[in-house]
Amino acid sequence: MSVKVRFFARFRELLGTDIIVDKGPEAGMADLVREIARQNEEGYKAVFDEQGRFHEFVIVMRNGKRVLISDVEKIILTDGDEIAVFPPVAGG
Amino acid sequence: MLSERELERYKRQILLFGEDGQERLKKSHIFIAGAGGLGSPVSIYLAVAGVGTITIVDRDVVELTNLNRQVLHYDQDIGKKKTESAGEKLRIINPDITVNAIEADIGEKNVSSLVGSADGIVDAMDNFDTRYLLNRVAQAKRIPFFHGAISGLYGQATTILPGTTPCLACIFPKAPPKEVFPVIGVTPGFIGMIQATEVVKYLLGRGELLAGRLLIWDGMYARAEEIKTERNPDCDVCGHGT
Repeated sequence: MSVKVRFFARFRELLGTDIIVDKGPEAGMADLVREIARQNEEGYKAVFDEQGRFHEFVIVMRNGKRVLISDVEKIILTDGDEIAVFPPVAGG
Repeated sequence: MLSERELERYKRQILLFGEDGQERLKKSHIFIAGAGGLGSPVSIYLAVAGVGTITIVDRDVVELTNLNRQVLHYDQDIGKKKTESAGEKLRIINPDITVNAIEADIGEKNVSSLVGSADGIVDAMDNFDTRYLLNRVAQAKRIPFFHGAISGLYGQATTILPGTTPCLACIFPKAPPKEVFPVIGVTPGFIGMIQATEVVKYLLGRGELLAGRLLIWDGMYARAEEIKTERNPDCDVCGHGT
């Protein structure tokens, strides 16, 4: 099955965007994002903590719907899924 | 009642929403938390639109490093309190409105009295601690909270309506890490305009607000995205138990 991962802002600078990946069935969403992020150390650290979990402030969407960080590890991907990963910002 | 001068000043926007609309702006009081990157463009445009009373609060002094983006302040203001500089400029920009420029460090003890009976709060802050505080006050006073935040060429904005939309804590249960954020003026200029537009629409009762929608702007690619936001029924600030 084919899924697309989009990163935004700083995450996009480090990891790129519109990444299309072919995965077998039962692929986990969090695992996929970790796999992609590992390609850039700084990018990985921006999204994940030392235990490999999403930083709690990261916004994750699946097909336009927010996925709470507490639920992120439970999501199993389906064909055509689009995952979006955003960093909220704080400046002003 | 609008004076002859006001009818003339706002003539071109009265074409959009009538004298009634302008009266609504004139009777309104908006609280702007921060006179920096976001606070500058928001306050300027709400002032020229004729929002009758603007209260702007900041605790800082103008520094040279502010001047790449904080367009209310000039070289001659370096060393001056931001609120003094902001008050001066806004009164020149529109002498027909009331500007309260208050030097204060917004905190638990003073936030409610600072906001007073304002009709809405504009988030022009640079940290989430104060944003969360303003969010709670907006909930308590049942007034809108116009959130905005930026970094680099990227920004976000949403309009929080207590009792209706998710609050800031629903949308951002955890704050992003504190950082000395990179910024160029065009970004808070852009996000500030989104916030100011939201304020104007809210006060006029027109159009569709960013209610339940988080607008994400990536200036580097000139792309806007929208994230639907949802209330968290267990939210500490606005959830069932509150």
